[in-house]
Amino acid sequence: MQGNSESNGASGAAADYAVRTEELWKIYPQDPRPVEAVRGVDLTVASGEFVAMAGPSGSGKTTVLNLLGGLTRPTRGRVWIEGREITALGDRELAAVRMNRIGFVFQSYNLLPVLTALENAEFTLLLQGVAASERHERVRGLFKEIGLEGVEDRFPPKLSGGQQQRVAVARAVLGNPALVLADEPTANLDSVTAEALLDVMEKLNRTKGTTFVFSTHDPRVMERAGRLIRLVDGRIEGAAVESG
Amino acid sequence: MARRDNDIWWRIAWRNLWRNRRRTIITASALSFGFVAAVLMMALMDGMLEEVVSNGTRVITGQVQIHADDYRPDQSLHATMGGREGLDVAGLLAAAESVEGVTGAAPRLYGGGLVSSGEETVGAVLVGMDPGREEGVSRFGSAMREGRMPGPGEIAIGATMAETTGIGPGEEVVLVASAADGSTGNELYTVSGIFQLGLGGFDNSYALLDLGSLQDLMAMDRARIHEVAIAVEHTDAADEVAEGVAAAVAGVSEGLLVEPWSVFHEQLYFMISMAGAMNAMIAMLIFGMAIFGVANTMLLATFERRREFAVARAVGTSARDIGRIVVYEGLLLGLVALAAGAVLAVPVVVYFHEFPVDLSGFVGTYSVVGSAVRPVLSAEYSWDGPLVAAVALVFTGILSALFPMWRAVRVPPADALAGR
Repeated sequence: MQGNSESNGASGAAADYAVRTEELWKIYPQDPRPVEAVRGVDLTVASGEFVAMAGPSGSGKTTVLNLLGGLTRPTRGRVWIEGREITALGDRELAAVRMNRIGFVFQSYNLLPVLTALENAEFTLLLQGVAASERHERVRGLFKEIGLEGVEDRFPPKLSGGQQQRVAVARAVLGNPALVLADEPTANLDSVTAEALLDVMEKLNRTKGTTFVFSTHDPRVMERAGRLIRLVDGRIEGAAVESG
Repeated sequence: MARRDNDIWWRIAWRNLWRNRRRTIITASALSFGFVAAVLMMALMDGMLEEVVSNGTRVITGQVQIHADDYRPDQSLHATMGGREGLDVAGLLAAAESVEGVTGAAPRLYGGGLVSSGEETVGAVLVGMDPGREEGVSRFGSAMREGRMPGPGEIAIGATMAETTGIGPGEEVVLVASAADGSTGNELYTVSGIFQLGLGGFDNSYALLDLGSLQDLMAMDRARIHEVAIAVEHTDAADEVAEGVAAAVAGVSEGLLVEPWSVFHEQLYFMISMAGAMNAMIAMLIFGMAIFGVANTMLLATFERRREFAVARAVGTSARDIGRIVVYEGLLLGLVALAAGAVLAVPVVVYFHEFPVDLSGFVGTYSVVGSAVRPVLSAEYSWDGPLVAAVALVFTGILSALFPMWRAVRVPPADALAGR
């Protein structure tokens, strides 16, 4: 990870990174003063990295993740995913980028409650137009790997928190995204379940080369991250700290 | 890219519909009752209109008539079909009755005259007719309060005329009428019966004679008649039947004009058309009001699911597919309500058809544009009303979903995920 001062050079020309930002700002208009949630973040995450973004509440972690994933548009600055600038895209193209190149894992699981575990996990594949037989095969294969065998037909309320979060991870990674953005994925889990989830994500990172960027307060996540970014008041603090 | 499995949007919509089962049942029930109300109201209106049309056309006029093309508007004595020579009446009747949908045809001759008995003399419209054929076309026969239909040398008069003149069955009257040859015909007739149609104009001034008797009185031969009144199986098919009759009788004589009741009962037809438009208006009002209620409920449901829409958007669902979910929910809600409404509406309409509600204890018989209407609530079977109501119901579901859809596709994912 590189700090605010990193030069992006010919941004977007090469695609040896999963995500890259340039002078990223997000300002929310608010009385009496606008809130500067993100202030000039320059960031590059190489493909295959396992990065944690730490910082106190209100430091802008979630906003940065939303900007990286195209869920909200920056007030200023640019974002590239694998060399493609997403800040210039229209809504429909942005939705396509999210569908094909980005996976999301949220703090509160956020599975669609009317879909079963299998249907939730295969949702992105379905949007991508993957045939049903292949979808089911891929979901069942991954479920086996991450300990979700037997829960395919259960609806989210019938799953434990850990199971729901693993289904959410499955949904995020099954579409073979360039980048998985996880917003405090272990925050609602007990320590055993959180460790198990981290094992799953680490394994996916190691075996499939999936790039993960977490926001977290959890020291366990920070310890296991390949790199750690500290965010304070919407800015990256100092240089990257190697850990793990 | 492979073809997408679009069933998922229907599946999501269907399951969303039943997440809050109570709310869906209440909303669908409101729509179903609206459907039943609309269908019943239109069936009762159809029943009343059928009564109006039936009485307006089955009492005397029939649903299709044949005249000489110069008979109206003057209704001249000389304007008989086929001119002064007349035509083959039996052939004309046979041609008319050969048309599909025709259930009866009756020849008539009209004239004006004076009916005298002792001191009393009243003016009368004289109708020469074939009593046997009239049974299949008009209600003169069944309206005989006393006595029977007239035979040769006999006359039947309306109840009011009988009261005015003090004449009863078996008594003799003198009839004086202008004849076709310019002379004045007069003859003695025996009163065979008194009829009461319940329509003032007819009971007061109509006198019925055997066709041959009136032809004799008016110095006309047997080939001369003014009118053939035709009864059809379905009153709403009268226009098509009239076209068929016109084609069938064209070879019998030239100068014949065949008209359905919508032409010669212009006022009645206008009233029926107005009532049909009113039906549609009332159905629109019923469902128009329902739209706001259903939209409000759907909007609430959409608002409750902002986070879900945001998640779906985050994982790549397009705004179009989000909108599709909401519209499908509205459509499915409409179809569920329709299914329930149909189950409820069928027995209700059948009941009112089989067991009409008689309001004669509260309201007397009344006359609408010359047609007697009994105060009876009777449902008429028809596909039109239920079809209109069904389409309106399904559209209500879809239209109700449009504003919630508009809101759903505009959910900002990041804000909704943050609970803002």
